[in-house]
Amino acid sequence: MKSAQQYRWLLGFAGFLFVAAAALAQTPALYTKWENFTPANGMPDAKVFTVAVDGNRVWAGTENGLVLIENSKVAKVFTTADGLANRVVTGIAIDKNTGDIWLSTFGGVSRLSGGKFQNYSSMTTGLANDIVYAVAIQGDLVWAATTAGISRLNTRTGEWSIVSERTAPMHEPWSYGIAVAGEKVYFAVWGGGVLEYDVKGDYWKPYNDPDGEMELVLFKNQGLIHDIVSNISYNNDTHMFWASTYFGMSGYDGHNWFNYLSTDSGLASDFINATQTRGDDVWACTDKGLSYLNFKTNTWVTYRPNKDSGKGEIVITGPDKKQSRLETPTSLAHNYILNLAFQGDDIWVATAAGLSHGIHEFHQSHKEGKSHEQARAGR
Amino acid sequence: MTAASYPLQSHRKLLLLILFLAVLIVLLLSAVSTGKAHPSTRPQNYLTPVAAKFSRDGTKLYVVCEDDDSLLVVDIRMQRVVAKVEVGHKPKDVAVSPDGKTLYVSNEWNDNVSVVDAATFQVQRSLSTGWGPVGVTTDRSGKILYVANSIGNDVSIIDLASGAELKRLAALRSPHCVQLSRDGRRVYVSNLLPYLTSADEAPVSELTVIDTQRQTVAERVLIPGVLELRHIAEAPPAQGGFLLIPFMRPKNLNPLIQVSNGWILTHGVAVIRPAKASQGASEVTELLLDNLDDYYAGANGAAFTPDGRYALITHSEAATLSVIDVAKLQQRLHAIPAADLPNRLDTARAIVLRRLPTQSNPMDVVIAPDGRSAYVVNRLDDSLTSVDIPAFQVRARFDLGGPGEITTLRHGEQLFHDAKFCFQGQFACSTCHPDNHIDGVAWNLETPQLGRDRVANRTLRGISETAPYKWNGHNPDLETQCGPRIAKFLFHSEGFNAAQLADLVAFIKSIPLPPNRHLSADGQLSPAQERGKNIFYQKGCQTCHPATTHYTAKVSSDVGTASKYDTAGFFDIPQLDRIYEKPPYLHNGEARSLEEIWTLYNPADKHGVTSDMSKEQLNDLVEFLKTL
Repeated sequence: MKSAQQYRWLLGFAGFLFVAAAALAQTPALYTKWENFTPANGMPDAKVFTVAVDGNRVWAGTENGLVLIENSKVAKVFTTADGLANRVVTGIAIDKNTGDIWLSTFGGVSRLSGGKFQNYSSMTTGLANDIVYAVAIQGDLVWAATTAGISRLNTRTGEWSIVSERTAPMHEPWSYGIAVAGEKVYFAVWGGGVLEYDVKGDYWKPYNDPDGEMELVLFKNQGLIHDIVSNISYNNDTHMFWASTYFGMSGYDGHNWFNYLSTDSGLASDFINATQTRGDDVWACTDKGLSYLNFKTNTWVTYRPNKDSGKGEIVITGPDKKQSRLETPTSLAHNYILNLAFQGDDIWVATAAGLSHGIHEFHQSHKEGKSHEQARAGR
Repeated sequence: MTAASYPLQSHRKLLLLILFLAVLIVLLLSAVSTGKAHPSTRPQNYLTPVAAKFSRDGTKLYVVCEDDDSLLVVDIRMQRVVAKVEVGHKPKDVAVSPDGKTLYVSNEWNDNVSVVDAATFQVQRSLSTGWGPVGVTTDRSGKILYVANSIGNDVSIIDLASGAELKRLAALRSPHCVQLSRDGRRVYVSNLLPYLTSADEAPVSELTVIDTQRQTVAERVLIPGVLELRHIAEAPPAQGGFLLIPFMRPKNLNPLIQVSNGWILTHGVAVIRPAKASQGASEVTELLLDNLDDYYAGANGAAFTPDGRYALITHSEAATLSVIDVAKLQQRLHAIPAADLPNRLDTARAIVLRRLPTQSNPMDVVIAPDGRSAYVVNRLDDSLTSVDIPAFQVRARFDLGGPGEITTLRHGEQLFHDAKFCFQGQFACSTCHPDNHIDGVAWNLETPQLGRDRVANRTLRGISETAPYKWNGHNPDLETQCGPRIAKFLFHSEGFNAAQLADLVAFIKSIPLPPNRHLSADGQLSPAQERGKNIFYQKGCQTCHPATTHYTAKVSSDVGTASKYDTAGFFDIPQLDRIYEKPPYLHNGEARSLEEIWTLYNPADKHGVTSDMSKEQLNDLVEFLKTL
């Protein structure tokens, strides 16, 4: 009898734990501790356009050079004096195969290999234009998004080719972002929507705003939310691409569109500079803070600094649109967010006033002893 | 005839006989002293050995023969060739697996590596590489192969279990030799050609350092002021573990006519202390191995004795092996500031223990594992020179079994690689035309003012039918180009005699073009190449670059490329065959890429009306040009 009571008690306790765990699972990862890198602690410029992670190394592209951060310190700053093509570094791509770092700059493309830069400009090579906003690696191919189209370098043959309004279904050549997805590549085209290219099949597929309306969103989930696409990312787990526009955010899984506006979601702003995504996580880099979407639960979290207190502010928006707020002693360096990169469960955020390191301290998966990678692997 | 006269007549006959015999002996001696009778024109299949490696147990020497497309196996104890393996076209190097059971031979013109069973000497399979594989080594485990691709300017990393190429890492230009470090953590790659820099700047070369664990480029070691990096030797750790890499150090902006002042082309070794930490930088010092008035051109092969006390360097254009006392080399490095050493011509006197004669065109040098013998690979003599190391004396010439007979072409090639025709032996034809190609820099050849009338080096590959010669087009044939002109302006010596000149010209005319890597196997053009071809003809490029004559109209033309340093504006229209192998471009080497010819150096549309072309069109045109 006593034993049956004990069982009932145990079952009850287990039920409580299950409910509690389920409730906690609804709460996404929260970054309550931030470490910022600014000119005060070694950054060459406050404005950070882009960030990329290569193991323990963090690379940041700033308005005044390339920065390498190791062990939470600015380890080295690379400038034009070191051979960098231009001081403005807008994009970084790490070739996992060769270890080379490819950079898009406002003076062409730079490759950092073995500590030395090799530069590629429109004068010296087949690069379409020297104003380059993004660079990406796809096997032996290097893609570069420029103001005069998308350039492709075959590193084995040295062949340059250009994707522009002359050679592809894009009515604007000005390109901002590139996302590699296996044999496919997605391009963010300013005013031209999203362009998909199949490398093997050598065919194009454009995605445009079906209403063609520059100011309004007439058909919310019927296509790309807007043609002014500022960047794009691809989720290798869900096989979706996520396009950032200055008028909202769009996700596409091959069949359905998922569009988000600040008016009907927890998105901080419709002005979005970039997205990054993995697993169920979608991050939107907006001009009013860093927004996170758990795509599965439709839960939002927005991070931004409080201008008055200097502390951090976290706004959690549930699927029912109810909001809760938290205050954190540290915060992002600025609320104008340009890009983001993952480092395990941590994140690195490029802002208009510094590079911010979001240190992961609490998460359900962590309580269970799982890292993000482990959680993904067990998916 | 009288009785008295008979003895006299008899004496006269005897005297005549003696005189006849004396003349005969003199003639015979003369023939011997000049080497051989006049060269034959009958074609011969020469071996042309270029590289060698010892078997792990030191009993065999594997010798790569580039003209014979073979690998020879020499039994060291028996001192004879015991096997011959037919490999691919233009083999350049051999690597021995760590267990000694497998050999890897790079085939430069086949773009692959022959895998040879070291027991049966049978080719087991071939592995695809990048373009123009030359230097080759395995890693310490024997699971990974590193291959330097001379045309692709990269390094193939091949998984030997699957035979698949894992990746290619960018080298610099014309990567040449590869060397696995003693600790197995790095692969060093020497680059024959320097960076494409401004013509006003001294050349800078690169040693590419690969991290074998990550299989990434760990460091690009800059070696200023030099080019033509060759073999790489690593000293034992007890001797400091530094690298020795032979080089050529040109003063290419000085007028070459000042060669009689000395010091225009010097030859030596880079001493490199590899970086210890992954983030550190290697230290580079340069030493010359020339004497003050006696140069040793073509520094090429390099090896350390097992105890590290001596280093051996071959001088491929001086038929010499230098023996360096490493302790004295170290003393020299400490005694003289590093900034001064690259220009000190008194270093050799302090560190070179001995100069040993070799046969024609010594390339590689290898030392037996027991440290008692060294073997020098004599490329144009089909032989090895065996050297007694404790005594540092030449032991013997070891004949690898070539034809023996010297043909006109072979003799011409020997002359091409012989610096003795130049004042103080400063350089041979091959010094500035390594592999019959280019050295990648522009030279002030004949104008007395510093830096004026610089002209880019031009390849000798496939030039037989492209007369006239020289950038100003003044030389109607190769006899003029290579005869009195070279003697007067470049060699500052008596130059070649008529017979030698004929042989040299015959050789130069015989230099073939390598295969074109940008053309598909069936010769079909890609869509971009096809579009570029249309642009080529629409723009009228064929007027000056007609296909029927190697894409040169064989006249001079002013295409607006003269700079403030040039005396004249008309320049010979260059042939375009294998144009992708020849940067820098234009007469003065100012264009570092094909694109720059039109993006930077055609402002008045005199080099074709190209200002109306889009970047897409220019890219297509470039792709077509690469197919020529």
